[in-house]
Amino acid sequence: MSPDVLDGLAQASQFNTIIAVAVGCFIGLVVGMIPGLTISTGIIIVLPLTFVLSPEISIALLLGLYVSGMTGGSFSAILLNIPGTPSASATAMDGNPMARNGEAGRAMGIAIVASFFGGFFSFLCLFFVAPLLAEVALQFQSPDLFSLVFFGLTIICSFAARSLIKGFLSAALGLAIVTIGQDPMMGTQRFTFGEVNLIGGIHFLTALIGLFAIPSLVDNFTDLINTSPGHGTLTKIKSVIPSFSDLKLMRLPISIGAPVGSFLGILPGAGGPIAAFISYDYSKRLSVDPESFGKGSPQGIAAPESANNAVTGGALIPMMTLGIPGDPVTAILIGALLIHGLAPGPLLFIENGEFAYGVIFSFFWANIFNIIIALICLRFLVKVLTIPKALLMPSIAILCVIGSYALRNNFFDVYVMFAFGMLGLAMRWLEIPIIPLLLAMVLGRQLEEHLRISLIASKNDVSIFFTSPFSLFFLCLATGSIVWSLFAEYKRRRNSTYPTSP
Amino acid sequence: MINMRTRNLVASIFLLFLCGGYAYLTVNLPTRAIENSTQPSFFPWVIVIFLTGLTFLLLIQIAVSGKQPNIERKNQVPVKRLIYGLLLSLAYMFALPKLGFVAANIPLFGGLMYLYGERRPIWIGLGSIIISVIVYLVFRKIFQIILPVGILGDVF
Repeated sequence: MSPDVLDGLAQASQFNTIIAVAVGCFIGLVVGMIPGLTISTGIIIVLPLTFVLSPEISIALLLGLYVSGMTGGSFSAILLNIPGTPSASATAMDGNPMARNGEAGRAMGIAIVASFFGGFFSFLCLFFVAPLLAEVALQFQSPDLFSLVFFGLTIICSFAARSLIKGFLSAALGLAIVTIGQDPMMGTQRFTFGEVNLIGGIHFLTALIGLFAIPSLVDNFTDLINTSPGHGTLTKIKSVIPSFSDLKLMRLPISIGAPVGSFLGILPGAGGPIAAFISYDYSKRLSVDPESFGKGSPQGIAAPESANNAVTGGALIPMMTLGIPGDPVTAILIGALLIHGLAPGPLLFIENGEFAYGVIFSFFWANIFNIIIALICLRFLVKVLTIPKALLMPSIAILCVIGSYALRNNFFDVYVMFAFGMLGLAMRWLEIPIIPLLLAMVLGRQLEEHLRISLIASKNDVSIFFTSPFSLFFLCLATGSIVWSLFAEYKRRRNSTYPTSP
Repeated sequence: MINMRTRNLVASIFLLFLCGGYAYLTVNLPTRAIENSTQPSFFPWVIVIFLTGLTFLLLIQIAVSGKQPNIERKNQVPVKRLIYGLLLSLAYMFALPKLGFVAANIPLFGGLMYLYGERRPIWIGLGSIIISVIVYLVFRKIFQIILPVGILGDVF
């Protein structure tokens, strides 16, 4: 076994790191279960802390939040029939009927245990696949890296949008925003309009806070006047630990959900909601009692919950090995690493192997603490659902200001955050997805650098992208994802089956 | 109520203007006399072409899609509250550098509490002061994050 593995385990098992994971899990469960707050919003809340904490502790905190946020989303889906996160939408279909039958505790216990198994499976995938993929990725040259990033962007656009054109438009806007600031090759100032604060470009974390938090604050205005007074009465929770017969019933849906979630997590942009619905659908088809689905079936809870938690480990694979984020949360993780001078990618395993394995083991601890905290504190945690929004939402607004200001100690970033909030609202009105814009902001600089380095190396001969086997492979995948997306769009117009990521 | 076709048309027109402006700025980017190298304007030109092409595709989609029904509004949008929220945020951003974090946050917090449905003046007053101060102290004193102190610099 590589010494980095043992060092990583030791790093992730330090007292401070473990505490950070546990705190992250607790915040994640709270944030996940509050309808209207997504995991991204939760991460925005703790983001300022990551600027001052060490990278190991920052990442441990964020991973705990990521893993538990997925599980927390199921609690409000089960209790109130309002999914706390989009990934928990499928859980509500069986979780809420079970809660209405007086078995809320049983439903939540099944969700927690299924989440653990899904997360643990994805940890194994991360542990075994990530180092291998990093080794392969070390052989990539600039043309290969350009094609890989291009493929990442096309697949994000394919999954994130109902319309491929709008997905690409969003990505193109993100790329245009990235060009503000210094040119990565020659340092020439572009589109700065003489503004000193724009020379360093627009930080994607500032953009992310605005794009996610402000629409979320506005949504809660809307929810406030559209929620009926009787809506959301909490059911009493009795036994939480699943019985042996429930565990037996959960075997099939977990064995479907965990691999499906891990695989879809690897694909940038696919995300938890798609994995949850696909797993639910397949579990129903393969179940001996498909009629029970939708009426409070334990299998109908276990399948989506194992899948959406398995997505988390899957999403960490391309993030850590290729530097490609699959969703906003992994984009923030990249941001948190970059702030501390650590660039995710294949070299992370070579230059900072101990840290890379530390991240993987922190993810392991996050799954362990997720099940422990969720099972022990469940009765207390659900009380969070009664916190008035009049206190919660203004607090989030203040934390957004801290997050954007503290990034560079600059008021300009607060204004930029607000401007991105307005952009987010406008894009939502126009049904243009936000995620491709955000991820294009993360990947845009790499895309430009590798494109220009490749062209300089080949003396402006574009055939360089087709002569390298890796590059050709990624370009074929990119074409495949576009064709598949067009086909899916055509099919979706006829019959809508699976939801897209928000 | 505006249907999706009209919204797409609005988006296309805006994007065309954006492409024009971006192309104009790209033309005026400085050039570097380095042989066999790409210029700083290279990537922005790629984006201009890509963005313009996609905007035209969206326009074609609008032309082909024909007349669409109006989008049914699932939820009532509280326009008045949104406008008040926007004005409050703008006033906050204007005041933040002058007043500092705590002094600017108290009215923002109180205003938002009111907009989110809290009507008890004591709760609004106490909530906005206590939470603003706690958040400041936690981040400034415990986590050592530098936050603007403003007019209350001597107090904290």
